[in-house]
Amino acid sequence: MSENTNQKTTNEMSHKPDGTAKHIFAFIVMIALTAAAFYLVATDVVPENMILPLILVFAVIQVFLQLFTFMHLNQKGSAFYTIFMIAGIVIAVVSALGILLM
Amino acid sequence: MGTLLVVLVLALFLAAILTGGYNKDFLERVRHSKVWDWLTTVDHKKIGIMYFMSGFFFLLIGGLEAVFMRLQLIVPNNDLFTGDTFNKLLTMHGTTMIFLAAMPMIFGIINVVMPLQIGARDVAFPFLNSLGFWAFFFGGLLLNLSWIFGGAPNAGWTSYPSLALMGFNPGPGIDYYVLGLQISGIGSLMSGINFLATIINMRTPGMTFLRMPMFTWTSFVTSALLLFAMPPLTVGLLLLMFDRVFGSAFFDPALGGSPVIWQHLFWIFGHPEVYIVILPAFGIMSEVISTFSKKRLFGYTSMVFATVVIGFLGFMVWVHHMFTVGLGPMSNSIFAVATMAIGVPTGIKVFNWLFTMWGGELHFKTPMLWAVGFIPTFVMGGVTGVMLAVPPADFQYHDSYFVVAHFHYVLVGGTVFALFAGAYYWWPKMFGKLLDDRLGKWHFWLFFIGYHLTFFPQHFLGLFGMPRRVFTYQAGYGLESLNMLSSIGAVGMVLGTIIFTINVIKTARSKELAPADPWDGRTLEWSVPSPVPEYNFAQLPLVRGYDAFWIEKQAGNKGMAPAEPLGPIHMPSPSYIPVIMSLGLFIAGYGFVAHAIPVAVIGIAVVFISMFVRSFQQDFGYHIEPEEIVGSAKAKEVKA
Repeated sequence: MSENTNQKTTNEMSHKPDGTAKHIFAFIVMIALTAAAFYLVATDVVPENMILPLILVFAVIQVFLQLFTFMHLNQKGSAFYTIFMIAGIVIAVVSALGILLM
Repeated sequence: MGTLLVVLVLALFLAAILTGGYNKDFLERVRHSKVWDWLTTVDHKKIGIMYFMSGFFFLLIGGLEAVFMRLQLIVPNNDLFTGDTFNKLLTMHGTTMIFLAAMPMIFGIINVVMPLQIGARDVAFPFLNSLGFWAFFFGGLLLNLSWIFGGAPNAGWTSYPSLALMGFNPGPGIDYYVLGLQISGIGSLMSGINFLATIINMRTPGMTFLRMPMFTWTSFVTSALLLFAMPPLTVGLLLLMFDRVFGSAFFDPALGGSPVIWQHLFWIFGHPEVYIVILPAFGIMSEVISTFSKKRLFGYTSMVFATVVIGFLGFMVWVHHMFTVGLGPMSNSIFAVATMAIGVPTGIKVFNWLFTMWGGELHFKTPMLWAVGFIPTFVMGGVTGVMLAVPPADFQYHDSYFVVAHFHYVLVGGTVFALFAGAYYWWPKMFGKLLDDRLGKWHFWLFFIGYHLTFFPQHFLGLFGMPRRVFTYQAGYGLESLNMLSSIGAVGMVLGTIIFTINVIKTARSKELAPADPWDGRTLEWSVPSPVPEYNFAQLPLVRGYDAFWIEKQAGNKGMAPAEPLGPIHMPSPSYIPVIMSLGLFIAGYGFVAHAIPVAVIGIAVVFISMFVRSFQQDFGYHIEPEEIVGSAKAKEVKA
């Protein structure tokens, strides 16, 4: 067990130098997108029927940033995460469609 | 709240005085006491025992509520528990049994057994495990405190709006329901994630996915269901809480909301929930039947496949609870077909159990009795389930006692039977002692006969038109004798449960220790001593195939081959933070129930402060040295 933890820490160490900048960049982008979403709703910069699609686009970008920078989906050994995420998405889509279409 | 504080302080004073006065070493004494040990433990076996025992306690409370209801319904026009009181009883019975009895007892058994079955030293996140338990416990406590402070919830365990909205239900009951379930739901979600991470990452060398025992597989699928099913409930409860506490209108049709949304959210959670409680039961039964038939489980791969398919289909059928809402013939038909499809993998399982017993060397010990009683009982529940899945027929059965009979046949005949089987089977691993087999058989027969006497007549009560959740019925409609029979049957279940309780107490008092492998078991948990040492395995075992321990026994080996040299074992240190954090959630929950926002803020502050403390705590755990492990093993041998 102790060896395991050691391995993990060395792994993380080797990733750190380029990781930090990327993380901070993603973090700032995500905050900016959130702020932009609030701004769109609060003011009349864009026409009303465009607000919802725009917010959704922002949300999707944020999801991908989350997954790839903070949840390390681009690293090796993420098969399980992918399986579970796909299963979750399928279930969520079925449920949402079920409710919407009824 | 003030009274509660006074009582707490008084209890602390009394504890101090009774244990030798309040002085400098009081804290020292606390730190070494048994109570402190259990409060702060992160050991999966101890947490499992706490889960199981508090689940059993809530089972007794829920059972008492059921007995009260059967007493009310024993004769027509009875006035023992009428109107609102009866509504409270039925609501709390359902809520308690599902969320506070069935789930925690299952988590208890998973917690104790699953890490042992995959050859792990603990679950993946011991701290999270403890946090999950305490969140469940305080959530359950909050829910049950409603009886004393302000009135229990009374809108059924499904708590449909508009009935559950402020306008129709101004008392604090539904608030208790919402907050209690929210807090215990946080615990369930954490436990689910924890089990998933454990099974994926902590398997011992050689333990591939298709060598995992059936119970581990069902725990795995159940945990995945928890992961996907709890969030809709959380969202639904949150929306209901906003409607009630902050005056929003998600479910209020008068203000443009839709009560049907609640029904969708609840059943998108609720249907997977019934598989969450039944799949581990299937796992327990598979282990028990295989062990006591002295045969490898028949069709293991198809069992795994059936489990996964049931888990997946479980999310595609929620609308069969809502056939009469009026969603239209199209959606009703789609969901009816999906529901009937679940009968196929379940049938695969039933036949596999039968074929496992076929030609086996059967030993009818108590766990096996429960398993054998389970199969026909569960099949009956399954058959009525398929009947209910036909929408035109469901319009007749809906909200009648037929439904009550159906879900008690699957939930009691499935989950509760399995929990008792699991308790008798794994008691030596949990407590190091065997439960009495003779009392166990009395327990089984009384409970089994009482159970069928209670619920079998309810099918016909439903067909004769008796609606569920109604506190009385009139004489002269042909409902009297069957209701009387049903209430008499409840006595058998009560007697059975009392005998189980006596058995537990008797076993706790006896000094006779159980051997490591009392049933001639097949899986890894029987290769370690009973009770299990805190590090589980001195050396992680090397697994050579399915039924790992059985393979070694057949090959004439004394135990499992080690997969690592003997070395220091890293252990997580105990922590008091989970209790404090859950207490914070409890205070916050109470604040929202009382609509006292400052109290809620204090509670949430406690939660965040404990998170902060935990995040910046330097905690590296401790090591158990090899000398100590060898020493304790030798001491055991000398004793034996």
